[in-house]
Amino acid sequence: MKRYDLIVVGAGPAGLSAAIEGAKRGLKTVIFDENEKPGGQLFKQIHKFFGSKEHRAKIRGFKIGEELLAEAAGLGVEVVLNAAVIGLYQEKEVVVRIGEAVRHYKGDAVIVATGATENAVYFEGWDLPGVIGAGAAQTMMNLHGVRPGEKVLMLGAGNVGLVVSFQLLQAGCEVVAVADAASAVGGYGVHAAKVARTGVSFYLSHTIIKAEGGDRVNAVTIAEVDERFQFIPGTEKRFEVDTVCLAVGLSPMCQLLKMAGCRVLEIPAKGGQVPLVGTRGETSADGIFAAGDVSGIEEASSAMIEGRIAGIAAAEYLGYAVNAELEAAIAENEAALSELRQGMFAPGRRGDMVEFTDEGIHVSVSLLKKGYVNDEEIARFTSASETPGFRPIIECTQNIPCNPCRDVCPRNCIKVESITALPRLNEYNACSGCGLCVASCPGQAIFLVNGDVGGGFANVTLPYEFLPLPKEGDRGVALGRDGQVVCEAWVSKAQISSAFDKTNLLTIKVPAEMAGKARFFKSKGAV
Amino acid sequence: MGAVERILEREFVPADDDGVVVCRCEEITKGEIRRAVHDGIFTMTEMRRYLRAGMGLCQGQTCAKNVKALMARELGVPPLELEHATARSPMRPVEMYVLANEEVAD
Ligand SMILES: Cc1cc2nc3c(=O)[nH]c(=O)nc-3n(C[C@H](O)[C@H](O)[C@H](O)COP(=O)(O)OP(=O)(O)OC[C@H]3O[C@@H](n4cnc5c(N)ncnc54)[C@H](O)[C@@H]3O)c2cc1C
Repeated sequence: MKRYDLIVVGAGPAGLSAAIEGAKRGLKTVIFDENEKPGGQLFKQIHKFFGSKEHRAKIRGFKIGEELLAEAAGLGVEVVLNAAVIGLYQEKEVVVRIGEAVRHYKGDAVIVATGATENAVYFEGWDLPGVIGAGAAQTMMNLHGVRPGEKVLMLGAGNVGLVVSFQLLQAGCEVVAVADAASAVGGYGVHAAKVARTGVSFYLSHTIIKAEGGDRVNAVTIAEVDERFQFIPGTEKRFEVDTVCLAVGLSPMCQLLKMAGCRVLEIPAKGGQVPLVGTRGETSADGIFAAGDVSGIEEASSAMIEGRIAGIAAAEYLGYAVNAELEAAIAENEAALSELRQGMFAPGRRGDMVEFTDEGIHVSVSLLKKGYVNDEEIARFTSASETPGFRPIIECTQNIPCNPCRDVCPRNCIKVESITALPRLNEYNACSGCGLCVASCPGQAIFLVNGDVGGGFANVTLPYEFLPLPKEGDRGVALGRDGQVVCEAWVSKAQISSAFDKTNLLTIKVPAEMAGKARFFKSKGAV
Repeated sequence: MGAVERILEREFVPADDDGVVVCRCEEITKGEIRRAVHDGIFTMTEMRRYLRAGMGLCQGQTCAKNVKALMARELGVPPLELEHATARSPMRPVEMYVLANEEVAD
């Protein structure tokens, strides 16, 4: 049996980070992953991540994956792909299917970082082709370059449903609706807002009654539910679609840990059955650690930190690191982790109805019910002035741990006091209109407004991640936060820059009184 | 075991959506699962053996939560009271010829 100091199962952010830390300390390390590509979820994530610099915020997920992979390779970590771990036995024997054979390995320490699997819901017709997981849609689009369908209904308004809805739009699909049985949008408001402003309708307190079709789905019917999740007759809405995406949560995949005899607990807030782990990722079985989504559904950013801790802990367990180093690393990583676990979406606050921001501002109810902050509510957070000169309008209305806007501004115009605080403008306005904040906001919630460009017009610069990029001089309409047409608009500038990392900036000219409303552009072609 | 006695006393009541498939791999319907509970199947492990729900290609990855919730509702207990089925190797479906091709030495 081939022996390794450290065997890591799963090459996602948690597994790669764990292997890096182990290998750094001299452990002979291998990672097995059943996929043909390493990186786990990261390689599908083409969007910019939230957080701060330490959490690699504003970097797109797949870039983070590439960085981790390069670092692991540089440290001599062996990454074996197309290698499904099918068993984990006593004495840390790892059984792997590789090609057409089953091989046995022995790890002196084992870290399980197998991530999670998508939940499903059943309804009449859910087994028709075309009813797929949102993660599957993401894999099709972002890994294989295949559009899952033309017209899609998304069930689930959590972050996965919202992010994938946006990516479906980017891939050129029509998203007919985002529905969710919950009464409020569960994901970040900014993710919802960037979908809503393109004209997608949100149906909260709604779920699917049935999907229809023959060879594949061709229609879906949703209806409103009451507090007891019973359908309310007469509220049915039918959409013709060829795809239904389910984004109804994830469940940790902890089977290997169960097989190895680790104690598991069922904790609904963590997504289901999870191993009992201590602060260093150690399970109840000697020398077996768990990190990432497998020990509770969270984020790639936290998965990386948990992975790092588990990697160092494995090194310490094997005598390759001293306890003091481990304690220091745990303290440092825990600080980073606790930063991520702050704010309105903190694990402990999930499901709570938050009424006020930390700043004491009444939260936007429309954002929770319809996916966008309405014109009246936005005034509580920001306002566009009708004066000449640039001004960033920051439509970031929830306390989420994120601050790239502050760090990127070369003139220090933006303050984010604690990481979850709402961004604020400094009193003096030194904005040069460079647009870096607009491009770097992972929530696409920053706009630049020049309130008076002459002739009663204003310029609004918005983040634009669709193709084709409209050209200077193009004519079209501006859409409001709610995705409805607010006025005619002309493209005065379209900027592409490597500093913007593929978030292009579109500047549109609109009547000055519309500067506070115009938040998206639909082209009607060149004049 | 109050719940058990209660369920055995209660009649199986057919529902409109009993025909909906819950376990896609083994094509087990909602009605079959509900009825099995009335037949005396009270645990996830028994359900796997009795109907094969959760025993197919995905090994219950897709349906286990839903089967569990359905059984709990039928039994009138909170889902947390039902234990998940035992995890067994192989964790992923493996063809017999591959399983037979074991490379022990290396
Ligand atoms: C649509 C979407 C958007 C997201 N956006 C963000 C975001 O903006 N910011 C953020 O921080 N997080 C985000 N996340 C969450 C993040 O992707 C996950 O939390 C993170 O990937 C978890 O990392 P992990 O390493 O635990 O698991 P994964 O990334 O799932 O990796 C697990 C790996 O284990 C492998 N594996 C599993 N079982 C086996 C086995 N038996 N044998 C061999 N290999 C196995 C899998 O193939 C996979 O490669 C998002 C998730 C989704 C779905």
